[in-house]
Amino acid sequence: MSINASELDFFNIKESLKTYLEQSDEFRDYDFEASGISNILDVLAYNTHMNGLIANMAVNESFLTSAQLRSSVLAHAESLGYTPKSVTSSTAVVNATVTIPDGPETITLDQNTEFCGDVDEVTFSFKTTEAATATNVGGTYTFKISNDSPNITLKEGTSKTKTFFVDGNATNQAYVLTDDNIDTTSLTVDVYENVTTQEFTVYNNIDYVPTINNASTIYIIREAANGYYELQFSDGNTLGKAPTAGSRIVVRYRTSQGASANGATEFVTKNFAYNGDVYPIVVTTVAGSVGGSDKESIQSIKFNAPRAYASQQRLVTSADYEALIFKTFGAYLKGVVAWGGNENVPPQFGKVFVSLQFQDGIDEQSQEIQKQIISDQLTSNLSIMSIDTEFVQPQTTYLEIITAFNADVNKSNTSLSGLTTNIESLIKEHFNTELNTFSAIFRRSQLLQKIDNLSPGILNSQMTVRAQQRIDEVVAGTEKDHTLNFPFGIASPDKDTHTVTTSIFSYNGQNVLIKNKLGSNILQIFDLNNEVKRTNVGTYDPAKGTVFLSGLLIDNSTELKVSAFPANQSTLVPLRNYILTLDESLLDVSGFIETGTNKATL
Amino acid sequence: MAKAFSIEDGNLSNRAIVTSVSKLHSDIDCTFEAKYADNENKKGDIYKKTDAASVRQAVKNLLMTVPGEKPFNPYFGSALNGMLFSLSNDVDEDDIESAIFQAIDTYEPRVIVNRVDVDINEDNYSVEATVIFQLINTLETVSVTVSISRKR
Repeated sequence: MSINASELDFFNIKESLKTYLEQSDEFRDYDFEASGISNILDVLAYNTHMNGLIANMAVNESFLTSAQLRSSVLAHAESLGYTPKSVTSSTAVVNATVTIPDGPETITLDQNTEFCGDVDEVTFSFKTTEAATATNVGGTYTFKISNDSPNITLKEGTSKTKTFFVDGNATNQAYVLTDDNIDTTSLTVDVYENVTTQEFTVYNNIDYVPTINNASTIYIIREAANGYYELQFSDGNTLGKAPTAGSRIVVRYRTSQGASANGATEFVTKNFAYNGDVYPIVVTTVAGSVGGSDKESIQSIKFNAPRAYASQQRLVTSADYEALIFKTFGAYLKGVVAWGGNENVPPQFGKVFVSLQFQDGIDEQSQEIQKQIISDQLTSNLSIMSIDTEFVQPQTTYLEIITAFNADVNKSNTSLSGLTTNIESLIKEHFNTELNTFSAIFRRSQLLQKIDNLSPGILNSQMTVRAQQRIDEVVAGTEKDHTLNFPFGIASPDKDTHTVTTSIFSYNGQNVLIKNKLGSNILQIFDLNNEVKRTNVGTYDPAKGTVFLSGLLIDNSTELKVSAFPANQSTLVPLRNYILTLDESLLDVSGFIETGTNKATL
Repeated sequence: MAKAFSIEDGNLSNRAIVTSVSKLHSDIDCTFEAKYADNENKKGDIYKKTDAASVRQAVKNLLMTVPGEKPFNPYFGSALNGMLFSLSNDVDEDDIESAIFQAIDTYEPRVIVNRVDVDINEDNYSVEATVIFQLINTLETVSVTVSISRKR
């Protein structure tokens, strides 16, 4: 007789025990819940259930991929050398001026001066990150920061200071910062040799220190199991200098409300006081508040920690660039892609190309600032010597989706037009969730499967896919060459269908468009009656996916859409910095009621 | 009338048909008292309860269990213990009787309750209920008395 012990569920365990008792005549009342033996089985099953559950949880928590508790995930990440991102303050850039008649030569706006900005009727407090000074120009003062720029950076949050005294008797001392919402990038650590001195040594975060020797002054900041942060220093041997007993450690940091403060576009600050009078400071927003983020989620840590470990805090492979940039600046980014100059078209050796897809709402100026910070903090310090980093803009390839489906409305409570609308929504949703980012592959069959599964009323579906590149503006009155690169091959010329077509534009006073000559890769200008108006305006290369427009001259400046059938409509794999997205204006979904009830004749 | 049985049924006509087993119910004695408790040399197994005694013990268990006590079966038990701490104006004999009927109807399929006698002794903060029931299989009539009272 044996007991089946493979089930962890309480009832299954109890059933196993009952099965065991069935094999004996000793006790027969186990099936009656009120019996004494049933109560004993309850205790046994509950005990086994709890032991099994605890064992299961303990094993799950032992691995990064299956751990559920944040404290376990943090511990695994730490063992991989990965520091999960803390809350990050939202950042804004403003200009500030004040007019003071008969004012002094210079005035100063202190560091941590408060500016207030509203997001959804909630007011957030932003602080200046450094002092700004202004000189008198005809009674008007424009505040400028240390690099003589009028662009004052504001960070959302509240500044805090904590002081600790070093106890010489404590071993493995951790200094606890009792705040959940610390923006660890704002942390400064100053160590004073004793209580009275005003001289201090600055300690730096180990994550941003390129070399460590016996004179290094570094600290380690880590999120504790309870959500607070702990500061640790070297033991004085392996990681540089340690604060000596009796030293005073002063820690300054900012607590932030993270992503909630993103989106403030107008800021106000208190009036400037001078000689007993106050003067309003006029604040002009250069860049609204962006980049605020909450603590890194458990899922994100699980994803990023192994990749950061693989990169070893060095930028060598393209994956290193992607992992480290996303780890450090993920609050600003939807995606990162990097590739070596040898893989570029045309090849440019000695370079690494990085393309960043920023979060929505981050304006161009903020994007440029972030790129500069990435260069300064990461790529200049951690990349291989003689390899330069070049940022390139993401390239968008639009897809024109033409879908037809057969329907039997009796099998669904939705009309044909309702099904059409639902399919349009589904296609848009598919692009939003599955595509619209780097390296996201379009697979036609997956989308068709979703359409077929949308409703029992949809009997079958088919889809034609065209890819489209755009020339933002073709300038009128000037002959100019244009080259468009598709991120995949284009279909070969066909005798019946034009493979390449463009949007309509004005040429010699007529509305025309460009199409390839049937059966040829030569591009021609056709009027709307399909008569050739110019016999050669360029060519296209199916294998390389390029369209070359030669000496194009148009009447009115316009955006030009160039569409082409891909060589393989079923699978579209974007290269490098290409992003596949949907041209919603050309989304075409049409449904047909299936009427094939006559089985005898067509 | 002569009875014929198939070969597959094992020529039952040649054997006596067993119509009952000697012991229908058997359960652990919840006092957990060992047999031969007074004899060190023979002390061993705990006692068992069988048939009517077993069911009687189960009914008592059921009535004395507070809902929520039994793991993964939060409704099992009776509301008697809760009533002990109700105001005397809120609870009367009928309520207690009804609670007992409901608990036994739901969780003890081996019995049919014939009668419940309830005695509320407000001065001593105690309730005594006697349940007279019949075992379905044997039609034997059994009674069990449960008493609940405050400890001090």
